Amino acid sequence: MSEALVTIRHLSHTYLAGTLLAEEALCDASLDVARGEIAALIGAGGAGKSTLAHFLNGLLRPVERGRVVAFGQDLAVHNVDLAALRRRVGLVFQYPHQQLFERFVGDDVAYGPCQLGLPRDEVRERVRVAMEQVGLPFEAFKDRQTFALSGGEQRRAALAGVLALRPELLVLDEATTGLDPRGRREVHDLLRRLRDDEGVSVLVISNDMDEVAELAERVTVLFEGRTVLAGEVHEVLSQHEALAEAGLGLPTVGEVVRALADAGITLPGRPITAREAEEALWQTLRS
Amino acid sequence: MDDTTPQRSAGDLIRTAHLSYHYDVGPGDAIPALHDVSLTVRRGEYLAIVGQNGSGKSTLARTLNGLLTPTEGDVWVDGANTRDPAAILNIRATVGMVFQNPDNQIISTVVEEEVAFGPENLGVPQEALRMRVDHALRDVGLAGFGRRDPHTLSAGQKARLAIAGVLAMAPDCLVLDESTALLDPLARRDVLRLLGELHAGGLTIIAITHLMDEIIPAERVIVLDAGRIALEGTPREVLGRPEALEALGLALPPAAAIARGLAARGLGALAGVLTPGELVRAVVAAAGVRP
Amino acid sequence: MANAAFLRHVAIGRYIPTDSLVHRLDPRTKLLALALLVAAAVVAADYINSVFVLFATVVVVVLARLPAGQAVAAVRSVLPLVAILAVLQLLVGGRGATAGGTQLLSWGFIRVTSSSVQLVIVLTLRLISLVILAGLLTSTTTPGALTMGVERLLRPFGALGLPSHEIALMGAIALRFLPILGEQMEAIVLAQDARGVGQPAGRWRVLANAQRMAALVVPLFADVYRRAEEMAMAMLARCYRGGRGRTSLYELRYRPADAGAFAFALLVLGGAIVLGTAGVP
Repeated sequence: MSEALVTIRHLSHTYLAGTLLAEEALCDASLDVARGEIAALIGAGGAGKSTLAHFLNGLLRPVERGRVVAFGQDLAVHNVDLAALRRRVGLVFQYPHQQLFERFVGDDVAYGPCQLGLPRDEVRERVRVAMEQVGLPFEAFKDRQTFALSGGEQRRAALAGVLALRPELLVLDEATTGLDPRGRREVHDLLRRLRDDEGVSVLVISNDMDEVAELAERVTVLFEGRTVLAGEVHEVLSQHEALAEAGLGLPTVGEVVRALADAGITLPGRPITAREAEEALWQTLRS
Repeated sequence: MDDTTPQRSAGDLIRTAHLSYHYDVGPGDAIPALHDVSLTVRRGEYLAIVGQNGSGKSTLARTLNGLLTPTEGDVWVDGANTRDPAAILNIRATVGMVFQNPDNQIISTVVEEEVAFGPENLGVPQEALRMRVDHALRDVGLAGFGRRDPHTLSAGQKARLAIAGVLAMAPDCLVLDESTALLDPLARRDVLRLLGELHAGGLTIIAITHLMDEIIPAERVIVLDAGRIALEGTPREVLGRPEALEALGLALPPAAAIARGLAARGLGALAGVLTPGELVRAVVAAAGVRP
Repeated sequence: MANAAFLRHVAIGRYIPTDSLVHRLDPRTKLLALALLVAAAVVAADYINSVFVLFATVVVVVLARLPAGQAVAAVRSVLPLVAILAVLQLLVGGRGATAGGTQLLSWGFIRVTSSSVQLVIVLTLRLISLVILAGLLTSTTTPGALTMGVERLLRPFGALGLPSHEIALMGAIALRFLPILGEQMEAIVLAQDARGVGQPAGRWRVLANAQRMAALVVPLFADVYRRAEEMAMAMLARCYRGGRGRTSLYELRYRPADAGAFAFALLVLGGAIVLGTAGVP
């Protein structure tokens, strides 16, 4: 097993603890993210996925039970260098307009590197690379107004702003919801490139089972603030009863596999993507 | 329903002729969105309009109820032209529209007041209002939620509430502008099932989406690209052109993609399969043939 | 500011669906009675009548069967502001109009008199009454009913060109969006924190927080504007055309209880005035 970047064990968290409005978001959540892998965190709405994600870059600190160790640092300790942590863990939120705040795209993407105190040419270079990576050509888009961009373009700009920090762990909090098929495929390709070419780890938070089946190598399932399943993707996504109890469905392919099993046809392997299913069906039907 | 429901006539419900639209962004500067779109929507039809982001599908939706008037060409709803200010109220009561983000459509903090908003605007008499509200809530499966605060509803329930708000106006047609895009898979399934029920009850449905599995329940599909109609046909016909769809930024839904791959390898019996259910049945049949 | 979760729970303006005497009153009555009670709170400038008005307010809260915690929470949220004003007034207000009464403390430019102490206490009581009254109206009246009530009351001014329904509806929609905007602000704060905005550098915390406020403004405005545009389109799609020809789900009718409520409010105002002029401290 490769190096663990983030380890979370038995974490609990209550918002506004002690007040009338207290809300327990996590009660026994655990998560592992290793270097150089694409992992997924899934769960029904309200399961606590976003809350858990906010611990990864120190937006929240463990004050109740549980332990969070990120890049070797225990986040419960007082003098954690949060700024440094946020350089290594880039968090992209669901709605791009929540993240963009500069008037021009170039300035917004440059914000992170500027905060790092990097020299101007390096900032410019990072911005250029990040924008090209997300498919927003540098010259064409750097002087466009952020809030005049289309939804899809804003999403890319927000992502570029985080990529410009060259994080080692990229966390995408439901960041592909609402993207069209081409847009989604481009993001997926980008994530795979980041992992393969630059060793970036990715944590995808989603409840789109098809997307998770396509992308992830390891999956953690959250239900009502608790981790109920974790493991390799084929392993986790074939446990339909446990997933149903957690308020989740199966990937489309998973449902096909299950229906076929009910009809007496068992497919080899544990296909969860269309490609795997096609291959498995071909093997079965050919013989 | 009641005496206040408008009478329905037969024939085409909506017709567009050489419809073009561009957005004005400044002096002499315009963003083209639709080019020469001519289509008809029959009464009682279930039509899906798909396209990648930027293809013009939302713009097209907004011309169908007169929120946008064409820069060229015309749109007629039940014989009335959307440029006619005197007819616009009736047009919008005939063609109801539900948008993508339920939060930005919900005005009130009480469910039943929210649903009543539409018919109140139409001047429906007070006695009939209560009945309209109750029927609409029942139709979308939110009966009994009348006094709740919409803020406490789940995303799927809010989406259904938005639909109820439009149904209460007793429209002939429901246009859904990517109304399922922000929903989780289970909520999306609920909404699609609801649309099927409404369609079975006689409502014309126009679903705007880029999620390809949502075109399957439709009777007809129109694919837009850069403001023009690029493909048209039944779901089966449209999904039978995967290379064309790919070029248009779309993709086959998983079951159809698998079937197509297998058919290409020689298993002709699987050609034309669209849904997971059909795939399972076809595979069982194909396996049953073999010893 | 990381734990900004409270922003989404701004409870002002939330309708609480219990059933009580107050809930069942006609919205117009509640609006007028509220105006009278507010007037009473403003008029009361002495110890006794301020307490009297506050007591009357609490009586209404009880009659409305509202959970006490709600009222307490509302008051607690304005206490910091009240405290600051009170202290300022106390320290430097002992001149001019409040220079009368016995001088209690004099040190440099700080002057405290018994009159200024009275003013501060009265102000505090008044503020508390007003906060509770505001919450009372919105907790016991649905936005639709409130809108109707405001619209009906403003209708006579319609002849002068006042768009009564539009105004009332604007208020109702604004209230409805408070928790949503609270959520948005929370999300924006988090997203910006994640990118390293406004890291408070020790003692310059105040400055950093000011900087962070500035960074919030643009996205929040953009968000509000976008929502407004979408909402306008949705309203048009549902045939909104202002107040003309609109009917309502509710029927407004005055009942005996309304007369009673009105009488109560008048009595409170009367009592406040009488107690004030009776020279009671």
